[in-house]
Amino acid sequence: MPTTPRNRLGDLERVVMEELWTTSDAHPEGRTVREVHDAIGVDRGLAYTTLMTVLDRMAKKGLVHRERDGRAWRYTAASTRAELTSETLHHTLSELAGDKRRTALLHFLDESTPEEIDELKAALAALEARRPERAG
Amino acid sequence: MLVVAALVILAVLLAWPVPRALARATSLRRAPRSALVLWQATAVAAVLAALLAAPAAIPLLVGRQVRLSEHWVVLVVAAAVSGLVAVRLLLSGDRVGRNLRAARRRHRDLVDLLGVAGEGADRHMRVLEHTTPTAYCVPGVRRRVVLTQGTLDRLGPDELSAVLAHERAHLSARHDLIVEFFTVVHEAVPGFLRCDAALREVLLLIEVLADRAAVRRAGPVSTGRAIVAMAGGPKPAGAMAMADSTRVATARIGLLDAEHIAGLPVPVVAAGMYAVSAVLVVAPLALYLAAIAGLTVV
Repeated sequence: MPTTPRNRLGDLERVVMEELWTTSDAHPEGRTVREVHDAIGVDRGLAYTTLMTVLDRMAKKGLVHRERDGRAWRYTAASTRAELTSETLHHTLSELAGDKRRTALLHFLDESTPEEIDELKAALAALEARRPERAG
Repeated sequence: MLVVAALVILAVLLAWPVPRALARATSLRRAPRSALVLWQATAVAAVLAALLAAPAAIPLLVGRQVRLSEHWVVLVVAAAVSGLVAVRLLLSGDRVGRNLRAARRRHRDLVDLLGVAGEGADRHMRVLEHTTPTAYCVPGVRRRVVLTQGTLDRLGPDELSAVLAHERAHLSARHDLIVEFFTVVHEAVPGFLRCDAALREVLLLIEVLADRAAVRRAGPVSTGRAIVAMAGGPKPAGAMAMADSTRVATARIGLLDAEHIAGLPVPVVAAGMYAVSAVLVVAPLALYLAAIAGLTVV
């Protein structure tokens, strides 16, 4: 698959994020563009300015935080990989249907009772009984 | 003016009592494709009736068949209905469309950032590191099928096959466009007339249709087991997931091998629903044409 400029930028974001995640324990204060460039940019033949642009974009997207340290910026991941994954999966669109309650209504996010879980299992058991040839 | 009044009444009927009654006819779920067409016909007919109400009055006024002073109440109501519906549809369409696309773009960027991509034919797939079995697709031009590692770990090969067939059915049949259409119409209807049960029913029908594809691929039992494995899992909005609340999952499992509706074979009931759908859409158009042709009874 040909790498369009957009793909490459997306790939870079992933690589930069990985770098920040793996070094977050050793460097809780964060990493400067220079440090990230030394770690991952040189091998890939990336320009310093490219990494600067990528980190700037990521900061605007809320993926990374940044703090001034003298003349440079220090970048940290805004959340851990696990937090971001969980947030992504539970991402609800409050704007779409007007408010969160309506969104929940429309996307069946209500809690289930033990009776409902029993009904679910019973429904599956009934299906398996009706279709024994596939019960293997 | 009977035609104009009829159009307004038709619009109100199709917006209020009809969706409520249709949402209660849950046995129609066993013919999901025709049921979905019936819902679409109801929505299209309601919109047509509302939009054509005021325009239907114009030939009557121009042709001097009616006098403005005698029928101004009906005219005012018709103008209000047509105007209100037109404006609300435009606003709703714009807002829903923009929000949906923005949410999908954000979601896809996150999934590309966090997930491991598949190879070759699976290059649209992303696997996220998460233990809860979850599977969904992000529709759109740059589509994605997203699975969690938990799904790969906990589901057997037949069940996984069912899940992938389900998600791919959503994508290839462009169910996202159907959802968008209904959401726009739903949001355009004024709050006091809106029927949440109607939108929920449509979303369920879309899931049942995707389940049909899964059954064709992996059989009803594997599909049923996959639904159970995913039930109660997260369901990101803007995406279309395999997960559902327990109650809805139970309903879906019951529909995996349904062959009769009220004693009649499904294809017979389906044919009936297609016929009713055609009549619904034609009705407002026929009324409007009657107004133009001057065949009305004043």
